[in-house]
Amino acid sequence: MMELQLGLALCGNSTKGYNLDEFTIESLCGNFNLNTKKPSSSETLDFQDENNVQVLQTLPLLVWDKADDDHSEPQRKDGYEAGVVGWPPVNSLRKILCHQSSRGGGGAVNYVMVENGGGSSGRGSLYKYVKVKMEGVGIARKIDLSLFQSYGTLTDTLISMFGKSKENGDAYKLTYQDKEGDWLLAGDVPWRTFVGSVQRLKLVTDEDY
Amino acid sequence: MAHSFPEQVLKHLFSFLASDKERNSVSLVCKSWYEIERRCRKSVFIGNCYSVSPEIMIKRFPEVRSVTLKGKPHFADFNLVPEGWGAYVEPWIIAMSRSYPLLEEIRLKRMVVSDESLELISTSFDNFKVLVLLSCEGFTTDGLAAIAANCRNLRELDLGESEVEDLSSDWLSHFPDSCTSLVSLNISCLGPEISFSDLERLIAHSPNLKTLRLSQAVPLEKLPDLLCHASQLVEFGTGAYSSEVRSDIFSNLEEAFSGCKRLEGLSGFWDVEAAYLPAIYPVCSRLTSLNLSYATIQSPDLDKLISQCHNLQRLWVLDYIEDTGLQALAASCKNLEELRVFPSDPFLPEPNVILTEQGLVAVSEGCPKLQTVLYFCRQMTNAALVTIARNRPNMIRFRLCVIEPRAPDYLTLEPLDAGFGAIVEQCKELRRLSLSGLLTDRVFEYIGTHAKKLEMLSIAFAGDSDMGLHHVLSGCESLRKLEIRDCPFGDEALLANAAKLETMRSLWMSSCSVSFGACKLLAQKLPKLNVEVIDEMGPPDMRPESSPVDKLYIYRTVAGPRFDMPGFVWTLNEDAKH
Repeated sequence: MMELQLGLALCGNSTKGYNLDEFTIESLCGNFNLNTKKPSSSETLDFQDENNVQVLQTLPLLVWDKADDDHSEPQRKDGYEAGVVGWPPVNSLRKILCHQSSRGGGGAVNYVMVENGGGSSGRGSLYKYVKVKMEGVGIARKIDLSLFQSYGTLTDTLISMFGKSKENGDAYKLTYQDKEGDWLLAGDVPWRTFVGSVQRLKLVTDEDY
Repeated sequence: MAHSFPEQVLKHLFSFLASDKERNSVSLVCKSWYEIERRCRKSVFIGNCYSVSPEIMIKRFPEVRSVTLKGKPHFADFNLVPEGWGAYVEPWIIAMSRSYPLLEEIRLKRMVVSDESLELISTSFDNFKVLVLLSCEGFTTDGLAAIAANCRNLRELDLGESEVEDLSSDWLSHFPDSCTSLVSLNISCLGPEISFSDLERLIAHSPNLKTLRLSQAVPLEKLPDLLCHASQLVEFGTGAYSSEVRSDIFSNLEEAFSGCKRLEGLSGFWDVEAAYLPAIYPVCSRLTSLNLSYATIQSPDLDKLISQCHNLQRLWVLDYIEDTGLQALAASCKNLEELRVFPSDPFLPEPNVILTEQGLVAVSEGCPKLQTVLYFCRQMTNAALVTIARNRPNMIRFRLCVIEPRAPDYLTLEPLDAGFGAIVEQCKELRRLSLSGLLTDRVFEYIGTHAKKLEMLSIAFAGDSDMGLHHVLSGCESLRKLEIRDCPFGDEALLANAAKLETMRSLWMSSCSVSFGACKLLAQKLPKLNVEVIDEMGPPDMRPESSPVDKLYIYRTVAGPRFDMPGFVWTLNEDAKH
């Protein structure tokens, strides 16, 4: 059974005492297929009874490989909440530009990048939402690349996001469009370089490559 | 004695009515006025594409020439609405292609537009003139090529901040040379490639061009060539504003700008090389609008630039302007009506600039016409807000974002209730308000009591209990749009004020405490509402009724439940198939 670890803790509702620890995450998520209206029939959602409902703050479901996951949440400094979706309310284009300017991609300002205590490529308290399409699937998804540290976890998560099993997932290759507009096969450049230049992702079937 | 006026007279009278609101009022006077008005209405605005169906619109208004549609909720801009939620324009285009052959204008905001829809637009309406796509997505440059090729009378093509898939850089070449009608072109959201020669040719045979906003891919050195063909421009958006620093490039640029005698608005300025800023000094004194919100320039270059723009009415800028720059702005720009200050890097734990409440106070003091504010900063005090309110009782739109959620008054450590209270009390014409910082139910009491003209309210990380929501819903008489995230508001306030929801366009609540059971009850009691539960965790009816829903979107509609939802949206409605 895959154990889901929630890397982001959303603030809010602390007064209601939602307690993530008391939840059985495995029983909740399991093989949840996001693209259909009903969960697979073998799955039942195991909840506490009505008087003691503990509910998960919602996040996009992420699958972490234990080996890649050194830390459970991004380090915070001065109580600054780096893990909140959609806050502060700036649109994606501005976020990308923040990312570019603070990585020294333009402008003469020096920044101190925040590194997480854990993994080498640190989250850097930065979002990088990119669109993901899968060949043959009508609806695209969006994913925050800053939450990942490797191609492996990214690809696994994407495959399950689109509701495919691991075996079926192997038939797909991950490609991306870089800053120059070219479509490349993911995996050839170091992860950080990839994150810096990727504009959008597409999962294609093997025959194309 | 309405019937004693012949229809022609009434139609003529109605043609003087400028706004939809007025036409709506007129249509309520009596049946015959309703009939006459509906048959001559030329322009329709639909603030929520799911509130009405294309068929209903077409049936009521057969002579429409201009349609405006808005789709996704505002919080979609901040990634709170999952991909695939909806807002597809296709059914509208298909219906209009059959019934509105004379359609001239389509304006869309936050909608999903396919290439097929663009192709259909380009071939269905012979006299098509205006296409505006703000924050839209789902189309590629192929769709744009169809528009370019087939719309012989195209006047305006505005791609706003849409997400366009770049399949080829030569779509511009599809504009025939015989097309000389272009007045406004905004392709600032495009990149990475553009065919410069196609662009130049297009501009050269568009003598009526008044607005031109280029994409980042257009290099600085090419600007003089473009501007010499378009010296009549009123609004211009540059591409990347940097290059190797060379005096010949500079003098060409300066000469080109000097030649633009009608220029009133500038934008673009992606990636700025400060040495080239003086090239625009010749036009500064005429500028009424300046958008530097993507420009990483700082003092002294920034201050020097702004201090020359005495006639500025609208300024969008990054927080590099700092308090000192805002003080200078307050001193030089007495006609300023709108100020937006965006964060250059909100994710840093320590501030990278000195932009505080003082800057905003200075502008509120120095700029008597200031009525629209969007301000991102890291600290605020009640005293500052009270001062701003007293200085600017003419404020109409006030959006403050203190970057850290629940940040108190940094001097007194109190909530910012009193400060925002002063804003709503003093600013009697306030129509839009966004709150931030530490706020208790008290601020909502102030809002409910005073904000009688408030139409749109955005709330995040605020309040203590349902009383907060109750104050807003029961007190704000003009409220149309309410969007809330991460607040402890639950069932009671919502159910107690259920009827209010039918008087509003929409309500968004995410990460709050509204239970699934309450949603079902609302849907049951108020059939004229669509109650949508958005939850990527799975069907909410698999959980106890008391569990809170993740995201809730409620809107009034005469079109009934929609059926184009993705798997993670549930419409709670007796008739819905769910």
